[in-house]
Amino acid sequence: MKKLFDRVFDGADEMYALAEKSIAEAMDELGADAPLAMPNTAYYLANFLSYTKRQVTTVGGLAEAFEEAKAWNTREDNTSGVFKTGFGVFMAAEAIEACKYARGADPYEGNYHGHLSDAEVRELGVPLVTNDIPGFVVIYGRAPSDEEAVDIIKGYQTRGIFVFLLGEIIEQARRRELNMGFPVRVVAVGPDIWQVAHIISFVNRAAMIFGAVQPGDRWELDEYTFWRIHAFVNVYEPVSDLVVSCGAGAIAMGFPVITDDENDMWPVPKTLLIQKDTRRFIETSLEARDIKLKITNVDIPVAFASAFEGEIVRKPDTRVDYDGSRFDSFELVRTLEAHEIEDHRIEVFGPDIDETPEGEKLGIGFIAEVAGKNMQKDFEPVFERNFHYFVNCAEGVMHTGQRDIIRVRVSKAAFDAGFRLKHLGEILYAKIMSEYDTVVDKCQVKIYTKPDDLKRLRAEANEVYDTRDARLKTLTDESVEVFYNCILCQSFSPSHVCIVTPERLGLCGAVSWLDAKATNQLNPQGPCQVVTKERVIDPEIGIWEDVNENVVASSHGNLESVSLYSIMVDPMTSCGCFECICGIEPFSNGVVIVNREHVGITPLGMTFPEMASMTGGGVQTPGFMGHGKHFIASRKFMKAEGGSARIVWMPKALKDLVAGKLNATAKELYGIENFTDLIGDETIAEDPEKLMEFLAEKGHPALEMEPMF
Amino acid sequence: MTFKPDPQIFASSIKEVSFGPEGAAVTFGGAGVLPLYSFDAPIAHRPLVGIEISDKGVDRDLPELAAFYDGANTLAEIAARACTAPGADFLSLKLESADPNGDNIPSDEAAALAKEASDASALPLVIQGVDNVDKDAELLPKVAEALQGKNALLLSAKEENYKGIAVAAVTAYGQKIGAESAVDINLAKQLNVLISQMGIQHGNYVMHLGNAAAGYGFEYLSSTIERVKLAALSQNDDALQPPVITPVAGDAWSVKESVVSEEDFPEWGPRERRGIEMEISTAAACLAAGSDAVILRHPSSVETIAKLIAELV
Amino acid sequence: MALKGIDIFKLTPKTNCKECGQPTCMAFGMKVAQGTAQIEQCPHMSEEALAKLGEATAPPMKSFKIGPADAELSLGGETVLFRHDKTFVSKTLFAVSADEAGADAVMAEAAKIDYERIGERMRVDIIHLEYAGDTAAYVEAAKKSAASGKAVILSVSDEGAAREALSAIKDARPVLNGANPDNREAFAALAKEFGVSLGVSADSLDALHETVQALEKDGVKDIILDVGTASIKSAFANAVQIRRAAIKSGDHSFGYPSLVNVAKLAPGDAGMQTALASLFILKYGSIVVMEGMSYAQALPLFGLRQNIYTDPQKPMTVETGNYPLNGADENSVCAVTVDFALTYFIVSGEIERSGIPVNLIIPDAGGYSVLTAWSAGKFSAGSIAAFIKEADIESKVKNRNLLIPGKVAVLKGELEENLPGWNIIVSPGEATSLVKFLKELDAA
Repeated sequence: MKKLFDRVFDGADEMYALAEKSIAEAMDELGADAPLAMPNTAYYLANFLSYTKRQVTTVGGLAEAFEEAKAWNTREDNTSGVFKTGFGVFMAAEAIEACKYARGADPYEGNYHGHLSDAEVRELGVPLVTNDIPGFVVIYGRAPSDEEAVDIIKGYQTRGIFVFLLGEIIEQARRRELNMGFPVRVVAVGPDIWQVAHIISFVNRAAMIFGAVQPGDRWELDEYTFWRIHAFVNVYEPVSDLVVSCGAGAIAMGFPVITDDENDMWPVPKTLLIQKDTRRFIETSLEARDIKLKITNVDIPVAFASAFEGEIVRKPDTRVDYDGSRFDSFELVRTLEAHEIEDHRIEVFGPDIDETPEGEKLGIGFIAEVAGKNMQKDFEPVFERNFHYFVNCAEGVMHTGQRDIIRVRVSKAAFDAGFRLKHLGEILYAKIMSEYDTVVDKCQVKIYTKPDDLKRLRAEANEVYDTRDARLKTLTDESVEVFYNCILCQSFSPSHVCIVTPERLGLCGAVSWLDAKATNQLNPQGPCQVVTKERVIDPEIGIWEDVNENVVASSHGNLESVSLYSIMVDPMTSCGCFECICGIEPFSNGVVIVNREHVGITPLGMTFPEMASMTGGGVQTPGFMGHGKHFIASRKFMKAEGGSARIVWMPKALKDLVAGKLNATAKELYGIENFTDLIGDETIAEDPEKLMEFLAEKGHPALEMEPMF
Repeated sequence: MTFKPDPQIFASSIKEVSFGPEGAAVTFGGAGVLPLYSFDAPIAHRPLVGIEISDKGVDRDLPELAAFYDGANTLAEIAARACTAPGADFLSLKLESADPNGDNIPSDEAAALAKEASDASALPLVIQGVDNVDKDAELLPKVAEALQGKNALLLSAKEENYKGIAVAAVTAYGQKIGAESAVDINLAKQLNVLISQMGIQHGNYVMHLGNAAAGYGFEYLSSTIERVKLAALSQNDDALQPPVITPVAGDAWSVKESVVSEEDFPEWGPRERRGIEMEISTAAACLAAGSDAVILRHPSSVETIAKLIAELV
Repeated sequence: MALKGIDIFKLTPKTNCKECGQPTCMAFGMKVAQGTAQIEQCPHMSEEALAKLGEATAPPMKSFKIGPADAELSLGGETVLFRHDKTFVSKTLFAVSADEAGADAVMAEAAKIDYERIGERMRVDIIHLEYAGDTAAYVEAAKKSAASGKAVILSVSDEGAAREALSAIKDARPVLNGANPDNREAFAALAKEFGVSLGVSADSLDALHETVQALEKDGVKDIILDVGTASIKSAFANAVQIRRAAIKSGDHSFGYPSLVNVAKLAPGDAGMQTALASLFILKYGSIVVMEGMSYAQALPLFGLRQNIYTDPQKPMTVETGNYPLNGADENSVCAVTVDFALTYFIVSGEIERSGIPVNLIIPDAGGYSVLTAWSAGKFSAGSIAAFIKEADIESKVKNRNLLIPGKVAVLKGELEENLPGWNIIVSPGEATSLVKFLKELDAA
């Protein structure tokens, strides 16, 4: 077997020889002083310019530049020598093409595209930089059949990939009358391999225009092409040494080459791939170059828009009613390894809607399996909670609930329009891939309707839910590396910032630490940012130097410091959307908590709205603080002042809501059983005197505690 | 006891942005003090005033405006005339015909109109799109291409379409852009960060923080501008340091006060005067809050506001 | 630094006697800190506590009233430099200026400006009378000005003329604007004698500062600082530096309201006066004196003032009800949106632009924007339906099509249940698409 490097060097020799011949002929015919330029470009011969800084303007100048380029044909038996040779090959190819253009503006007379103008570089460069075109492919050679040639080109087209064609495949496409040209994103560059010089010229100019890469700066150029130009090459067998030498240049730029030719070919992972099944070139190529396609439309037979979010499918209009309250049902997101997932596979196990009698009630389960380099298990519940919104956006489809208490109704109208279970999968697939594209690379969906499957899988799902809940319990402020801030409310409360920790969710009750983390990862510039907690000042009161720095910056200088576990010393501010407010009750040394829904007065002599008007607006009000309902049972709840043992009064409804967790916390922290029995509510007292009587009678622990001020 | 002045001079300053062709460019930004506080320290560049024209022509129902543009009928003539308005630092062309809710002319045609106005303009040029994210995404890159070498300022790139506009206008064709967000300091900051992540450096973009006319929620706009300036200067928040441009004309001339006829509201007096005063009041308040450039429609408002700036800075 | 509620509570007797009108001493303390209750309402505060509080709660800027008792105007009392920190307290007052000869004409002009805008009566607040040398005529003009019911500023630095005018209209509580370093003693005596506030000017901020301190020693309590008319630049610089010294540096001698005479800064230039008035609404003009005020000037200036003097935490609202637009009648389509003034203006503006008759229904949504009101539960299917019933829309309008904002499409189903017989239509998410949407809807 011939060594790959030797094939590159032999191919390079061929290309150099061809170039030498072309230049000699041009010198003879046109003379050294004859002008030589590519049309409509300010970048001379862009490959020569990029690699050697030479500005070639005459035939003689080209001959001179080519002499220098000979040194690039290294025959150095190492990677850098081979890569340099690859670049040399592109200069030689450009020399061949330049000699043609020196004889007239369009040597191809419109049959082939040839050289790309600067305007075309800009036109194509912009969507490549913005990722609106996810990448481009160079296809060279002869596809196994004309039909397959068209299929692969169209396959790339439908995925938004720009296609450059070289060699025989152009004739194949023409025989099938395929529409080609810049506007349809398929360009027939030229019949020979050396016309590759035009594509490379495009890349080099894009790097200079969009990447501000300076001529001669190889390192910057390599960086730019590798990270920013999402290109790759498909070559059909047979692959000659000449083509291999061009491949070396492509690989040097970071563009993988995929071929079906095994002869004297040496596969290198992610770089030089052999795919015998040419029908799978597209898939293999996209994966090799890490190209993720944008999903923009949801492929279902009914309309899909947020306008349908609130639509209710009523009983008489219902074709099928999947009712989780009576039949085993569930929804679940699971993270798998990339190889375990076939992207966009949607499977339905069990009877579909058309196989179900009209108006029937039964169960349903769906599992979305995802994979991605940046995917984390902690995002699973975040995606899952959004299934509700995703599914509801389909016209004639209603979804309520979450986890294993869900209900899905499909209307007769949606069914008549052709809506089937696989379309539920299409919705989930499209939304997950578009909303979470920063973390999800692949996704497949499974839908179940058979009772046996549902029973078994619901039990499995419950294990997953339990594991998640258990993880939530182990998450403590001490066990995590960072907190997050949340400035969602700053549009109407400009100076407020929430610091969200595992044991202290956002005061609106809607943003937990996990939510904030997911929000941050999915949208790094968004409303939730990482807050480090490395320089602790006081762990009891909850003060960190770096948390304070973040608070200063994110409140735009309005706040200087915040203590996370105190309501007396620099308490966290409130925006106005808090679920609850707690305020100190001076006679009992305790605090009163009131939730937004409670309309009556509290023993402080103030109602929720009155307290809210004093606590909101991003102002620190010692003794008063807004918070979420679930913070009440947290071990960090006003820890600095002694914790939840201070709670002396809550509206009954709130007390009932938090009783389970609060009693558990009180037992753990103070050894008190049924702590909520010691706490007053509106049925017991609405003024401080009566409350004091009650507390004294019950022996509430707050009465024995230190005064708070 | 005498008075001890306590000037607020900040270590940071607003970034400078220049637009317009070489030799005829204007520069704004650069201040290291609060807006118009030239008594605290000298201000590098005074705020700019632009005069707005539309590709749909001049509202000739307004007698003074009609007189000013008398004889100017083509877009080129209107553009050239606008540039003669005393106090105008730049010309701002609103490509109204491209609005999908209106005439919806193709982007190529609109770009050709921009070129026509540009060739006739003696002043640096601002181009205002149609305020439709999809159309602007297509239109502004075309305009950027048509105006190569003019170093024009294109309004605006929003969160939904900034990528294509920023890369095409700034990187591919060397123009400047405005980053527009909806009257919110954090949204403005986020968009600036995103734009800078596209490799667009300071000096190539300005902020457009939204519009409002006096009496119509103007407090949101003025408070947002004030907070942006305070954060840029006192917090040295790099992502909020580009200068702020506020197109005042559109809102000022479309509120009830400037729209209803004298027949319907006789006690209010002539419509033209009402529109002028609305423009003047809104623009002066924008400058007080911190706009570094305002865009006005009426030559009379342009002259007054330019004079105000000259007096203050 | 303002005292926190809890600090005030510490100074109360802690007896919950309720004599202050609050149920608990805690509630009282919190309300005093918030400014919604006065410390004097507690009859049991100790002298010591009151002294302590008085010192700590002394505002950085004095506040007082001017004008006739039945139409008095507030000045001063500001605590911040930017409205996003806290609501500005005393809105900029507009005066029109005349001398004794021109008073009648100016008053007649000024009287024309009188209208209501979002619940606020808009009118020229003050007549500013400039003394031109004819004392008898000046006194007559002063009397007429006082009789107009508006507040009066006597701009006069001649002691004799000032005394006569003051004697004539002292019950109207005018402002005497005319003190300067030269006549300070005499004018201080006049201000005290007639119990009026005193406007003072000087050539420099230094001189102004010294004169104010001397006036304070003279016993003058209510002072107004004239920022001068040397140039626009110096007037602006003075207005800013005076307010900044008071609020930021705690310089009590500059802790008084300001007066800006834009009539003299830009004589004969109405546009420039509008520009300057707008500038000084934002930047610290307590009284702005103009040569006159046309409707064309009044409309933006009063609108701007109304915007700037709003609570940054609390949005402006419009009254709830049904607003028939473009001549809508009982057969016209209904639309609903929130009572947040900005939303209302934008939505009603777009509907007016479409020319299609629409009954725009505004329920109480807490003054929030659509999404905020919805997420706060103040703009729900229940609350919309309840309002439509309560306002008896169903008997007033026959059309049963109701447009809801696209941002709350989620309410559609629930609304259909809450409002039987109504057809709920989801509109576009952005107001800018309304014109097209309404036209298409109308055509369909």
